Amino acid sequence: MVDLSRRTLLQTAAVGALAGAMPAQAAEADGVTIGWPSDVTSWDPNQRFTPDAQAIFKMVFDQPLDQDPKLKLVANLVSKWEMAADARSLKLEFRDDVLFHNGDRMTSADFRWTFFERIKAGHKVDIAQSFRKVTDIETPTPTTAIMRFDSPAPTVPVWLAFLGSFMVPKAYMEKVGVEGFSAKPVGTGPYKLAEYQLNARIVLERNDAYWGPKPKLRRVTIEIIKDPSARVAAVQSGQVDITVGVPVREVARLKAMPNLAAELNPITRVILLQVRNDEGFADQNIRLAAHHAIDKKALSQAFYAGAAVPLSVPATPGSPGYLDDYSFAYDPELAKQLLAKSGFGPDKPAKIRMASTNGQFPSDYDMARAIVQMWKKVGIEATLEVIEYAKYFELNRGNKLPEATLYSFDNATGDPEIYTGYLLNPKLPFSPWKDMGLGQKVIDQFNVADETARIAGWRALNREAAEMGATLPLLQSVQTLVRKKSLNYTPYGNGWLLGQTMSWS
Amino acid sequence: MPRWLRSGRVIVGLLIVLAVLSCALFAPLLAPHDPDEQDLLATLLPAAWQAGGDPAHLLGTDGLGRDVLSRLMFGARVAMTVALVASFGAMAVGSVLAYVAGYLGGWADWLIGRAVDVWMSFPPVILSLILMTGLGTGASNVILAIVLVDWTRFCRVLRSEVLVVARRDYVAAARLVGFSHWRTVTREIVPATIPLLVTLLTLEMGIAVVVEAILSFVGLGVKSSQIAWGQMIADGREAIYQAPWNLLAPVAAIFITVAGFNMLGDGLRRSLDVRMVEGRE
Amino acid sequence: MILLATLGRRLLVAVPILLVVSVLLFVALRVLPVDPAAMSMPPNATRDEIEGARRQMGLDRPLPEQYAIWLGHAVHGDFGRSIHLRRDVLPLIGQTLPGTIELAVCAMVVASVLGLAGGLLLFSLRGRAAEAVAETGTTLLMSIPEFLWALLFIFVFGVLLQAMPFTGRLDPGLERPVVTGFLLLDALLVGRVDVFRSAAVHLLLPAVALGLAFAPPIMRVLRSSLLDVYHEDYIRQARLRGVSETRILLRHALKNAILPTLTLMGVQFGFLFGGSLLVEVIYSYPGMGNLMVDAVRNADLPIIQLVGLTYCVVVLLINSLVDGLYLVLNPRLRKR
Repeated sequence: MVDLSRRTLLQTAAVGALAGAMPAQAAEADGVTIGWPSDVTSWDPNQRFTPDAQAIFKMVFDQPLDQDPKLKLVANLVSKWEMAADARSLKLEFRDDVLFHNGDRMTSADFRWTFFERIKAGHKVDIAQSFRKVTDIETPTPTTAIMRFDSPAPTVPVWLAFLGSFMVPKAYMEKVGVEGFSAKPVGTGPYKLAEYQLNARIVLERNDAYWGPKPKLRRVTIEIIKDPSARVAAVQSGQVDITVGVPVREVARLKAMPNLAAELNPITRVILLQVRNDEGFADQNIRLAAHHAIDKKALSQAFYAGAAVPLSVPATPGSPGYLDDYSFAYDPELAKQLLAKSGFGPDKPAKIRMASTNGQFPSDYDMARAIVQMWKKVGIEATLEVIEYAKYFELNRGNKLPEATLYSFDNATGDPEIYTGYLLNPKLPFSPWKDMGLGQKVIDQFNVADETARIAGWRALNREAAEMGATLPLLQSVQTLVRKKSLNYTPYGNGWLLGQTMSWS
Repeated sequence: MPRWLRSGRVIVGLLIVLAVLSCALFAPLLAPHDPDEQDLLATLLPAAWQAGGDPAHLLGTDGLGRDVLSRLMFGARVAMTVALVASFGAMAVGSVLAYVAGYLGGWADWLIGRAVDVWMSFPPVILSLILMTGLGTGASNVILAIVLVDWTRFCRVLRSEVLVVARRDYVAAARLVGFSHWRTVTREIVPATIPLLVTLLTLEMGIAVVVEAILSFVGLGVKSSQIAWGQMIADGREAIYQAPWNLLAPVAAIFITVAGFNMLGDGLRRSLDVRMVEGRE
Repeated sequence: MILLATLGRRLLVAVPILLVVSVLLFVALRVLPVDPAAMSMPPNATRDEIEGARRQMGLDRPLPEQYAIWLGHAVHGDFGRSIHLRRDVLPLIGQTLPGTIELAVCAMVVASVLGLAGGLLLFSLRGRAAEAVAETGTTLLMSIPEFLWALLFIFVFGVLLQAMPFTGRLDPGLERPVVTGFLLLDALLVGRVDVFRSAAVHLLLPAVALGLAFAPPIMRVLRSSLLDVYHEDYIRQARLRGVSETRILLRHALKNAILPTLTLMGVQFGFLFGGSLLVEVIYSYPGMGNLMVDAVRNADLPIIQLVGLTYCVVVLLINSLVDGLYLVLNPRLRKR
């Protein structure tokens, strides 16, 4: 690395001695190779929101707060946190035993740098938008910080464990600059970046000075394999030990192989139709008919081997915003009646447009084509167009999304605000639903500081939105995962796959 | 019987092309199923002769339970439409420019020649990809992209032919007799280049089929509601282990169609005694 | 000398072509129905923040001004930053171009070997019954474009026989030496036989798929050139002198017939270079083609622009090189 301090030198020497005792080539038991669908867009973890890269970043960097496998918010770099009653300030206490990979000690100054100074300095980082409400971060001592907000921000702790919120070192980044940092990233995580080839592979070496539980495996190799069938081939031939995002249909076949285990794990991702409140969907009857006409169970059966849970609200089972006692029925007859009320039927179909991505998540396009067919049977004629995921926001900003868009929304935190509060907020680019009747309620809900009232409010909104046809939730997405049987890992409710949780049996 | 019809290649090529064309034209009558009819309970059936196959679906079904054979037949419609329209379009643009350049010479020739140079510095795949990014998907845009990319094929080859023809005595004679430029070109030069034109046109049709398949394969081709072979390949690749015919059938369809056009073109080239530089894409 | 002079002259001609291409690319990409400013921001950005980004990217200025700015930066080696990846575009080319060149060169070797051997075979069959069969064979070969070969190979060697890897450039677990970026070369330079082996095996299917698609035209041109040459007087004279047929073919005929073949191969190489894009996509090969397709999906204009331009530069370079070689090999042309 650049500029070695004395401490670093000593550490490096220690690590070197350790490494010297081990065989030069990583034995299988000492490392793991992961087949991963996408690369990091940059090694500056604050820069770009990419859910897929989150797990990779979590091996090299640490977040102030963390989530356990059940997605409960837990201490991490921050050992204690306390939100003020008015949700306008957050007090944080940091661990004092955390070192960055270059040997520098992590302090509250690094926190202020990452979540405030960087942003104010004009660094192009996506977390600038997540922490928009932050007016200042005070650092009375190296292990304490107080975040101040201009309006109630009850979900900031959640955000401190969410997309892009990773601690970066102030001193190092100021010295080498953002470019220098991206070339040689330094975090506090359980692994250090040893080798990186764009769009090809990432090699991580264990950080032996890690403050937390030490990973069992010394080396994690991440092979970037974008093509799903190539990932299948790689895990089948043993070139990778574990991989995700294989076609659902392959899971059954791979499961039958003697040395492989294949799983369908439900995750915090919801698949739904984002809808407009106007044009062909101005009439509530048509929206509800469209919802009643979709056989979610059949979709799950055909495309997710039945493992994807049909949803009636935009939240996943087990998350705070989910309603156990509410379900939206599949009822094509009712759909026909609703359409007939508005003067439509199979012979005089209601015409709408629909958009879907192709390859953004497993079977997206197939599912969209199946839905079009289901609608056709009750009297809704949809023309389907394929859009790129990145275009969704742009189309929506220009108010140009069609009546219905098949969309998958990942909320690794499980918090209802980041489901409904985003998906149906007319002020945010996720929602094509622009009607302020429901919209204002959603926006107001952001400022509820009391936790119990907040959750109750979101649950009520979820139900209301489904009943008025403002959202057409479809399925809880599943993560397909194939691994060698002898490889253990900890499944996370949001699909994270972390090298530090893996071991060989 | 004209000479060109006595060539075995021409006949075989013509038969293949006509067969594919009739598949396209009569797809609604020939296809055993509605190509868009889904059956989510019978997805990815193998071909009828394989274990677990269903005689109702000769080539099996795709990931949405649609009949592969029927989709193959309907896919011929897009392929043939694009092949015919795009190659005539490319011929029209390319040959007009070639006549102008070859006959007029001078600055017109220079300008057109440089335009061809610029175009030729672009690999066709890259150029069509960029064009489709700008134009957006749809059959008419695929056609437009092919015309915009492939006119140079005609222009380049035809221009040198026009140069040769224009120097012939009877062309000079026509001018001396007082024929207008228009009349000289249309009556004397164009007829002399027809064999070359027809040959190029046939070969271009094969190329157009491939380009359409490529664009649909990468998702930049026809609209998703249209049935296209390239799209079937992209879909079929996902299911290569379960139902390989989803992939193999459209691959075979493209091969047969292109082979038909190539045989026809090759046969015409020989029997019409056209000399041209060979090369592809 | 001659080679250098021709190369120089050709490259001078290439500069204005490149300029025109860059203008065309610039204009074509600016009429895209996408908003690069909006796409450069995270989904939860506000409208004002997007407008700010637009001003910062210069997208609010008139098109000619935007182009002038771009060109000004470009001549200083600054080709802008990727919107999606947020890093300079030029290093991305540096990282992916060698892989694409490696694939294209290997494919060209395959195409040349198959093409020349096939051409000789076709020629040697002249006047025999098998000739018609062989010719029909080449017509059929010509009807299989590279992306069909690529898919067929994956099916046969990857899925059915499970004998060959069909993704990436290297087995997972092997460390990749980085010296020149050309993997085969680098493996040899650092003396890693295992890396070389793995890289070669990974390259085999894509290179053969790509090469096979471009071999048939070479076969045909070589054959017809040989047929032409055999009408020439010096062949007859050599025969009269009692020179053996093999010697005539290899010493006299081939030397002259190779010229048109070489020209064609130059043109072919340009097309093949572009054709590598699809093969890269199908084999998840980390080269410029994959970079391009990703950029198209993300409407990442700076990348599309530079990748497009790079393809042109390579094609123009190849063409110039072929022209130069042509003059070196054909002294008769030089005197004119």
